[in-house]
This record gives sequence, structure tokens and C-alpha cells, in this order.
Amino acid sequence: MKQLLYISAACSISPQHTYDAENFLRPVVTSDSSKLYSLDADYSKYISPVAIRRMSRILKQGITAGMKCLEDAGVKTPDAIIIGTARGSVTDMENFLKDMINMQEEALTPTGFIQSTYNSVNGWLAMLTKCTGYNQTFVHRGFSLELCLLDVQLLLAEATETKHILAGGFDELTEEYFTIRNKIGHYKDHPLDSFSLLSHYHTPGSIAGEGAHFFTLSNENKNAACAIYSVKMLQTPGSEELQSSIQGLLSENGLTNEDIDILVCGMNGDSRNHFLIDPLIAGCSGNTTIVTFKQLSGEYDTASGFGLWLTNYLFTHRQVPAELIYKQGASDKIKNILICNVTIANCVAVILVKSARP
Amino acid sequence: MAERIVVTAIGIISALGTGKDAHLGKLRSSQSGVGRVAYLRSKHADDFVLGEVKMSNDELAKKLGLPTGDNGYTRTTLLLLAAMDDLLQNTDIALLRNEPFAFINANTVGGMSKMEDIYMDVITSGTDENNNKYINTLDCAESTENVASHYGLKPLMATISTACSSSSNSLLLGARMIKQGLVKRAVCGGGDALSRFTLNGFYSLKNVDKNPCKPFDQNRNGLNLGEAAGFCLLESESSAKARGAKIIAVLSGYANTNDAYHPTAPSPTGEGAARTMQQALAMAGLQPTDIGYINAHGTATQNNDLSEGLAIQTLFGKTPPYFSSTKPFTGHTLAAAGIIEAIFSMWAMEEQIVLPNLNFETRMDELEISPVATIPEHVPIQHVLSNSFGFGGSNVSLVFSKA
Repeated sequence: MKQLLYISAACSISPQHTYDAENFLRPVVTSDSSKLYSLDADYSKYISPVAIRRMSRILKQGITAGMKCLEDAGVKTPDAIIIGTARGSVTDMENFLKDMINMQEEALTPTGFIQSTYNSVNGWLAMLTKCTGYNQTFVHRGFSLELCLLDVQLLLAEATETKHILAGGFDELTEEYFTIRNKIGHYKDHPLDSFSLLSHYHTPGSIAGEGAHFFTLSNENKNAACAIYSVKMLQTPGSEELQSSIQGLLSENGLTNEDIDILVCGMNGDSRNHFLIDPLIAGCSGNTTIVTFKQLSGEYDTASGFGLWLTNYLFTHRQVPAELIYKQGASDKIKNILICNVTIANCVAVILVKSARP
Repeated sequence: MAERIVVTAIGIISALGTGKDAHLGKLRSSQSGVGRVAYLRSKHADDFVLGEVKMSNDELAKKLGLPTGDNGYTRTTLLLLAAMDDLLQNTDIALLRNEPFAFINANTVGGMSKMEDIYMDVITSGTDENNNKYINTLDCAESTENVASHYGLKPLMATISTACSSSSNSLLLGARMIKQGLVKRAVCGGGDALSRFTLNGFYSLKNVDKNPCKPFDQNRNGLNLGEAAGFCLLESESSAKARGAKIIAVLSGYANTNDAYHPTAPSPTGEGAARTMQQALAMAGLQPTDIGYINAHGTATQNNDLSEGLAIQTLFGKTPPYFSSTKPFTGHTLAAAGIIEAIFSMWAMEEQIVLPNLNFETRMDELEISPVATIPEHVPIQHVLSNSFGFGGSNVSLVFSKA
């Protein structure tokens, strides 16, 4: 399906200074606990004090990132709201579940139950923007955000006029969620400085993270720095399937390896995906600069949102911060960026983003 | 004009049984599946009537040819597998192996029905091996991936969770993917198992009737929860005809809108529901008078039935088509509600019958219309409308037409 998604605005609330993007990487925020929690933003700008008191952190972050993203795009009421989250408001789910267990199903208050509903951020954003249009929530693990992008492609392919769609992803880190995922081997069993994550590539597991990333997407180029051209989701591909899928995606877009100026690589420091990452990096052209981000975001199901936000940041700022460079390439342009996200379950999403400037 | 999307296979399990014959038998004879539960281990189990599937996890596992006991499959997944198994009774699985297809599932609380029993163990140092088989089942996509891998399928997978409209959204997403040429076919639906989490959630919202629910009744007092799973196979009309498949119905219209009004309550005037039905009719190129039967969301909560009743009255006037809520038969099956009621709507059209709104006695003061309480036979139905509305202001309407 050929459908361009112009990125009119992007907003991120993450463990790094991304909400105040002018301070991005000043300084780099690190952690030695294998957990990277998002920095708080000023939630009172978009949410009433009464509502704020009842809301979990991730609801506030999802709503605020979504509202700021629309504001930055100059869109008051989007035509649709499409959000991906693997686990929704985990804190609310945990609170209601533990209350139910501890209080033996008596005298429960419904707040946690209501807010743990996966589409509650969708509902809030619709209310705050008076958006009565299409509203959808994808909850498919490491592809939750990519399915949103696919749905935006469908909506814009169906459209006969200009549309502005709010799409995004969010996921939350909690102590209990960390414990569960740690038991199934998602995280490293030794402490490390988060920024050095990728040098611990010889041991299994990654570090935990969280974040909320939103994008105002349109079929019209309204001062967009870049546009999403293709999105591909690969369920646990082999290395050859990954390579051939990337080549296929590039050739569908009239590109070759040499045309990729930057690879935004979602490697997560887990030794169990060497077999995908090593050939991916070896297959890059000498032109391509490789940039990594999970040492900044941590690993979680919608972490590719950080990668997409970073991609838009690179197109907007037209230079690559030295701290993020894994391998310097020869190209001095930023015209074509390929995002390649590898999840903890070895699923891979490939997204091609191209400059939208003449 | 875009090609028509048709339904060529159906699979279903609910408190009424498994498959078409079991369901139609009960629906035709006004036998509800709602009653006291045998398997949900809630402190309140004896206080409520619920739409529980009348099979234990072990019985479901046996039927599916799976090991019994702690086999790693949550009840959510078992119900979804049972629905898929029913669909595959009438569909050659090779169809799903040889050509690109999408598998779009929906649920609201993943494997909560199991996790709520073992949660305190899994978040502490607990190392119970049987518990650890379920440790990664709390998210909604676990069941999707499990069903696909059980049948050795490698589809484009998606999982949707928009509360009580979830599986209606599966259907419309599948239709849109086929129309844009992304896939040739799509298996769309969803399911939810009863859990203490959802029962206590709705109870804490004071939305649950301890007695059999009474949709659209002046004396309605809340919903009965239920559990179910269902799937439909969607494809283009030309694809169905090319392989000589029987067309059960045409998915002629659909709409997804949002109330943008309140986190849990619908707009009291029914404005959002009316807009959704209107848009679905417009896509199908139909007038309100073309609709022969409406399967309403009709949860029997104060808010929903007022809002939806007013919306039906606004759009269809004071002499609307036959309408009913089938939730007194199955309970409110949350993420499964959209798909199983879509299936009931298609069967109503296929059999030319209207399904009754059980337990209805007294018209609501605010309405001048009433649901159909008895079964009129041989009703000429060319088009049916099915509504699903959920928390977060989520509204979906589907229109099915005779092939």
C-alpha cells in the first residue's frame, strides 16, 4: 500500500529530555537500576486539577504528549485518534487487582478499573479535543505502534480530502511489571550504567524503559520535515528474511542500501538477537550512519515510538548528535532514514522515513 | 465502487453453546444461557447470574485436543480456540495457509481470568512452575499469538482493545485491510473469559444487576456479565465466488466514531450512537426504512439504554424496525459482544427471524418505542444493523445485507 504519512508534529515524554526537546541530551539521563522512568512534564497545562489527582502517571503522560503534539501541529480537533499500547495503564490495573485480592472483593472503588481500560487515553484525548471521528486502540505487544501507523495508512488511503490524524504509543514501567518481565528473562541479571547498554551485548536481556510518543500525521505536507513511506512488521524473522524484507522495502521505494543516510537501530543489547543485528549492521552501506536509542529509552513494547520521534528530530535539526552515533557513515545528507526496531521477542519493525523538504 | 466484503464462515462459543445449531435452538426457543456459575471462583458467584460457558477449562482443553491441567492456555485463549475450531469446521485451513490473510483478535483483559489467581505469587519471589506457565498472559495479544501458533498460521496479526466495542472494530479493520488490498482474507473477532476483575469492576461501578437483566425496560437495573468468543472469515465477494464459497452475508456498512463526552457514560441524548448508525447506513447506501432488524447494544444499564433508545428513536422514528438486545441470552460478553451479536444479526437475516429481547415488560418513560419481546416468524429482512458501544466513548455500528 502506497500512502505517505507526513509528520506535522511529534511529541515525546520519555526518560530523556524530549518533552523539552531543545534540551535533548543536555544532559543524557542515565540509570544504574536497569530501569529508566520517564521525566515528568507539566501535566496541568492540558488536564484539570480534579482529573490529575485521580490519574496514574502514564495516563497523564499519554494525554499530555497527545495534546502537545496536536498543539505543535496547529490542529485543534484531529480527524481520528489511533493509539497503541501493549499494557495500557499498568498502575491502575495493579491497584484494582491488588485491592480486589486484599479486600476480598469488597468495598472497591472503580477508578483503577475504569482507567485500566486500554482505550482510556483514547477516550480522554477525544473528549479534550472534541474529536468524534474514528478512534482505535491497538494492543499487540511490540507492534502496537506499528499497527497504528498501518491504520493511519488505511485511513488516509480511504480519504478524499486533507486529514490530520493523531497517532501514538505509550507504555508504563512499574515495579511489579519489571518483576514479571525479569522472571521471563527480559532484563539483564547484572547492574549496568544504562548508557553503556549496547556494550553489554554479550549477555541476554535488556534494560526496562517507558514512554509516550505521539505524532500528528497528515496526507498534506504542512511544514513537515519528513514523511513515513513504508511500515513493515516481521514476526520473529530469520536473518535472511529480515535482509530480503529490507531490500524489498527499499526497492519498492526506488532506493538502494547506498541511499540510506541513517539507520535508526532499535538494538536492545540482548545477546539473543545478535543473529539479526550483526548481519543488519554488516549489510549497511559505507554511506550509512548508524544511530541507536535504547540506551536512552530502555526497552518496552512501544519503544519504537522513541525511534520515530528521534527520526523526526534528526530531520528537523538536520544533524546527528555525536552521543548517539554507533558507526559514522560517509553521507552528509539527511534524506532517507530507515528505522529498524528489534523487540525483546525478536520481532522486527522496519519503517522508511524520507525528507519532506524539496 | 469498491468491492463488497462478504462473510463466508463463522465460529462461535457462548453460554448458549458452541456453533450455529446450538445457538439457534436456544435463540428460537427463548432459552437464556444466563444463570448461576459453575467455574468462576468469585466470592460473589452465588449472588449474581452470569453468562458462563458451560464447560470447564479441562473440558474445553479435551475438546480441542490439548493436555488438561496447567497447560499454559488461559480460559480466554481456550474460548478463542474453541471459536476458531468451530469456524474451521466449515473452512479449509489451507485457505489461511496459502494466501496472505490477517488475524484480528480483540479482548479487554487478556488472561486475567488466570492471572488474578496467581498474581501475588508471580510478583513476588514465587517460583511455582505451573504459575510460571501463565506469567506472560496478562496482555491482550498473548491469546492472538497463541491461537495463530496453535494452528501453525503466520498471518498479519493485530489485537484491538476498545472495551465493549472491541470485536466490532476487528471486523471493520479486516474489511478495510481487504479493500485496500493489504490481505486477501481476514479472520476477525475476539473474546473474553469471565474474571473476578471485570465482575468486581462493573460491580464497583454499580452497573450489575443481580437478577436477569432487562434491556430497554423501565425497571432495568444493570447488566449481567458473560463470556464468549467468536470469529468471522471476511473476504472480497469475487474471492468468495471464485472458490464457490457460500456467502453468509455482505458487510455493507460500518462506522467507528467517538462520543467525546465522558470516560464511561454515553452522551445522554444518544447523539453519538445516532451518528454512528447514520454513518454505517450511509456507507451501505441505505435508508433507515431498509433495516429489518436492529441488534442493539442494550446492556440494560441506565445510561446505555436511555442513550441508545433515544438514538434509535431519533434515527428511525416512532415506528422503528424490530429491535432487541440479545444480552439476556448471553450476558454482556465485553470484547466478544460485538462479534457474537454481529453473528446473531447475520443469522436473523439468514433465517428471516427476529430475536427476542428477553425479560422486557415495561416501556421506558423517556421512550415511545419498545424492543421486540416475542418472536415474529417469517419477517422479510434484507438488512440488519448491529451496535456496540464501549467505555472511552467508543461507538461502532455494522450493517449486514443479504448476498
